[in-house]
Amino acid sequence: MHSASPHPSSYRDPSGFVFEQGGVLYRQVNRFYKEDFDLFINSGLYHHLVSSQLLLPHQVVSQNLTGTDNWYQTLRPEPVSFISYPYEWCFDMWKDAALATLRIAREAIEHGMLLKDASAYNLQWHKGRMCFIDTLSFEAYDETKPWIAYRQFCEHFFAPLALMHYLKLPLQTLFLSYPDGIPLSLATKMLPYKSKWHLHTQLNIHLHASVSRKAKRSETNQAFSRKKLLNLFRSLEEGINSFSYNTSSGVWSGYYNEASQRDGYLQQKKATIDRWLQQLHFKTVLDAGANEGTFSEMAITKAERIISLDADHFSVNNLYNKARQNQWTNVYPFLTDLSHPSPAIGVNNRERSSMVERAQSDLVMALALVHHLAIGKNISFEFLASLFRSFGKMLIIEFVPKDDPKVQLMLQQKKDVYFWYTKENFLLAFSSFFQLKETEEMQSSGRTLYLMEAHER
Amino acid sequence: MQFYLLYIDPGAGSYLVQVIIAAALGVAFFFKNIVLIVKQFYYRIFGKKSKMP
Repeated sequence: MHSASPHPSSYRDPSGFVFEQGGVLYRQVNRFYKEDFDLFINSGLYHHLVSSQLLLPHQVVSQNLTGTDNWYQTLRPEPVSFISYPYEWCFDMWKDAALATLRIAREAIEHGMLLKDASAYNLQWHKGRMCFIDTLSFEAYDETKPWIAYRQFCEHFFAPLALMHYLKLPLQTLFLSYPDGIPLSLATKMLPYKSKWHLHTQLNIHLHASVSRKAKRSETNQAFSRKKLLNLFRSLEEGINSFSYNTSSGVWSGYYNEASQRDGYLQQKKATIDRWLQQLHFKTVLDAGANEGTFSEMAITKAERIISLDADHFSVNNLYNKARQNQWTNVYPFLTDLSHPSPAIGVNNRERSSMVERAQSDLVMALALVHHLAIGKNISFEFLASLFRSFGKMLIIEFVPKDDPKVQLMLQQKKDVYFWYTKENFLLAFSSFFQLKETEEMQSSGRTLYLMEAHER
Repeated sequence: MQFYLLYIDPGAGSYLVQVIIAAALGVAFFFKNIVLIVKQFYYRIFGKKSKMP
């Protein structure tokens, strides 16, 4: 029997685990979970959630693929094109994940079940919606007990959303520091005073934090009821619905509005990109520094998957909302700073993989980006060439010369130590990894587009 | 069947706080529901300009 080892992130739950075999991802259901799993299917909850597109569907594989003793069932879940983590989600994506979790919890109750955990890692952006992927997260609902996952929901969803709403800052990366969720004791201290006057924030964060601090013994004899739980859900939902974070940082929003005023620049750029997209063969695209997705959009009809990364929250949030509105199923907008993309973290530093590992694509686009990384972040051309090469083999990249008005703007605040920042050095550095295929000078702006292909290793 | 505390640590007090919160919400939602019913009544009679939530 081919023994398969569990996926590095699938170890906590005795109900089952995810593993890979023969290039396919499976989920084993253990005998420990038999009753709950049967209830999950027989109550109709599975089918209801799948048809509402809230849960990832699976196929049943009635074979014990791992040879373990406590095997009950093997499932083959629908593959997810791109795995993302909450610290890469824009505010509205995180909010949608929270609301989806609550909706799933409420639907579960209607079928006699309840979520036993409310982790943000249970959801993925899949086929244009936030989709729950942890099929084994449901347990039989006991009306007399309070919700076991309540604290986790507050720390994974309510607290981070409240913090971003009240502080108006992109605090997603806090989740990298607190992988088990933002502790309530931290959230209650970071939230401003006025948040105490908001009923739902007061109850679910502030009161929650102070009561938890004082209570020492675990209380299991508390009277609870379905009505009380539904009120709790309603409070969480109303609170989260009232949160928003869509304020622009000022600098990048309207970037292309301004750029399009430069006569012909945007038109020529779009025409060139369009021509190259048509002549190239690719299935997956990575748009590095995607802004609001102006160029990501151009690949929609052709690519199976387009990952759009940007460090500006407002841009990613707008692109996300655009994707939702237009029901794009192949655009994956995420918050990432390419000068320090998400690292691999967790158990053995393998539980959550790095952005570079996950975002490998056939074609990489780095438009209007190089100068931000080279001059803005002092990263050498050699490192940038290596960075883009680690993402993919084909590259469309725009070189922005030093006399460009945007670069001049950056240099106003810094000393010009960028003697190395020239087109010649740029092309030289990239030639170690790539072969130049095509060049397009954009007359009106002084910028140049390059199409490059990686050397055979 | 033995009940394992699974892999979620409910944290001391999270059970207790739910009881407290649910009680507070019971009161809050009682009054909010009255307001909502009145509003519904008002809008049915006087109509309203639809406002995006």
